[in-house]
This record gives sequence, C-alpha cells and structure tokens, in this order.
Amino acid sequence: MSTMISAVAGYFFLMFIVRLLTRRPGAQMTMFEFVIVFLIGGVIILATTGGDRSMTNCAMAILTVGLLHNSVAWIKARSPRFGAIVDGTPLVLLKDGAWVKEVMQGMKLAPEDIMAAARMKGVNSIFDVKYAILERNGTISIIKAEKEEA
Amino acid sequence: MSNVAFEKPVEDSVPKINDEVAVGEDLVFQRRWWKFESVMWSLIAILLLLNFLGVFGRGPAAHASLQNDALSIKYERVERFGTPAIFHVLFAPDVMSKGKVELFVSQSVVDELGAQRVIPAPLESAVGAGGITYTFAAGQAPGSVEFALQPARAGIYHFTVGIPGSAPLSGRIIVVP
Repeated sequence: MSTMISAVAGYFFLMFIVRLLTRRPGAQMTMFEFVIVFLIGGVIILATTGGDRSMTNCAMAILTVGLLHNSVAWIKARSPRFGAIVDGTPLVLLKDGAWVKEVMQGMKLAPEDIMAAARMKGVNSIFDVKYAILERNGTISIIKAEKEEA
Repeated sequence: MSNVAFEKPVEDSVPKINDEVAVGEDLVFQRRWWKFESVMWSLIAILLLLNFLGVFGRGPAAHASLQNDALSIKYERVERFGTPAIFHVLFAPDVMSKGKVELFVSQSVVDELGAQRVIPAPLESAVGAGGITYTFAAGQAPGSVEFALQPARAGIYHFTVGIPGSAPLSGRIIVVP
C-alpha cells in the first residue's frame, strides 16, 4: 500500500520537476542533462520501494506508475488545457529570419541548439531556416526557407 | 468492405503562424507558465534552505533538549520516516548513587518512534502505566542511555520520559515522510 502511494507521489513529483526543467530533458539532451535524469530517477526509486525489495512490491510500483501514466495520457487526449499543463505548447523560436528572443530566453535555448537541429535536417546555414519550432516532445522542427530562383 | 465508421470530418483547428504553418502556439499560456516556473523555483530554493537548516530533520533546527532535576534528554524534534535517529538520556548524579537507575519511557517511543535498541542493555524491563520501565546498572556519574530510533510511520508523536518518583519530561516529535 505504502509503495503504491509512494509511486503515485513520486510520479507526480517527477512529472512536475521535469516539467519545471523545461522541455530539454525530452529530446535535445546533452550529457549534462543525462546526469540530471539518471540522478532523479535513482533517487526516486529509493523512496518508492523503501526497504521492501520483493518482486511483488516492485511489480506493484511499476503497475501503479503504468496505470497512472495511461490515465494522464487519457486526460491529455480529452483536455487540451491539461495537455498544455503537462507537455506545454509548441513554441516558435525563429520566424522569418529573426529569433523570437522572449521564447529563446524563456526556454533557456541558445542559437547553437537550433543549429544542431538544423544540421540534422541537412540545413547548413541559419539563413536557410524559415521557422524553428520547439515541439511539445522537446524536439526542434526546422522548416526550410524556399530559395528564390535566380 | 471495411466497417470502420467515419464520423468526424477533419478540421483545420490548429492556429497558424503567418497564416502558413499550423503550430498551435499559445504564448499567453506560456507567459503564465514562465511566471509560475519562476515562483516555483523561488519556493524550491526556500525549501532547500529550510532543509539545510534542519526544518525537515537532520539539521541544527531539528536538535532539541529537555531537562529537569533528574535527567536531561537530547533528541531530534523532527525525524524522518525509516531513518535512524538517537534519543539520548543523561542522568543527574543524584539518581545514579544507588547502584542502579530506573527509567520510564512511554509506549510511543517503542511503537510509533520505533526504538530498535537500548544502549546499554537494561538489567530488566517492566511494562505498565502506558510504557516501559527499564532498570540499568549505574556506576559513577555521568551516565547516559541511548535509544536507537527508526520511526515506522509519519505523524506527530508525543513521548514521556522520566525517573519514577520525579517529574517526567514530555515532548513531541514530528516524523516527516
């Protein structure tokens, strides 16, 4: 019983902290951010399972988190507002050759992060990017600028 | 033939930027979220500072002591669930002069606060009056007894400790999850 309560509390606490850590832990993870994810995960395990290391206890904790995750996904699909709270909304980082400074600063992103995403799309210059959009899952979508015919 | 029912037509409901890319950006919500974020980080900083000071246990603010003519005790006023802590009882020289000393502790010390061990081991122990009375061999003062606690449940627990025949000491320990 206490494991299930700990698992529920741990799930929401972890979700809240990861959400506060902005969306970077999702997809654009650096080695520095890997450290945070592993450390938080390791610490939360200690509080969730406590001194009971039995298979039953671990299985119940996993099932609790699984059911909770499924419920959150169900609510997210039906309530856009809840989805925005849990995952945020997509944000435009670069529009028509200009950085959206407010969003870049708010999401603690540097132009290098956008260029990294641009290179993955085969774009070599920032001038070839028309839109850069930070998606809800943490990836950065790049929409190329259409080159004018000479 | 497929039996899949097509009920809801596709709508272009996602807001666009520059009327060309459907993004669904909600900057009003995002600005509110950034404000919430900065408030939460300030709160987290305050929580960490309080924790460093010992407000949630295991720090200077958690240390407590009580004293009367017969004994003095040192304990943690805030303890953590499942975490070892020491409850220290120091006897006054007067009560140790008879070669042995009796100490009454309320049942809460054993049950809720989870006394695991008594150091040194008592000569004998007797139950009754809502607690346990331990008898220890006593030599020259100073002399002390330690209870190794490990609370099994979170909550607020009251305890009483005393030498039979003198005024007891009572306190409260908060066990945080």
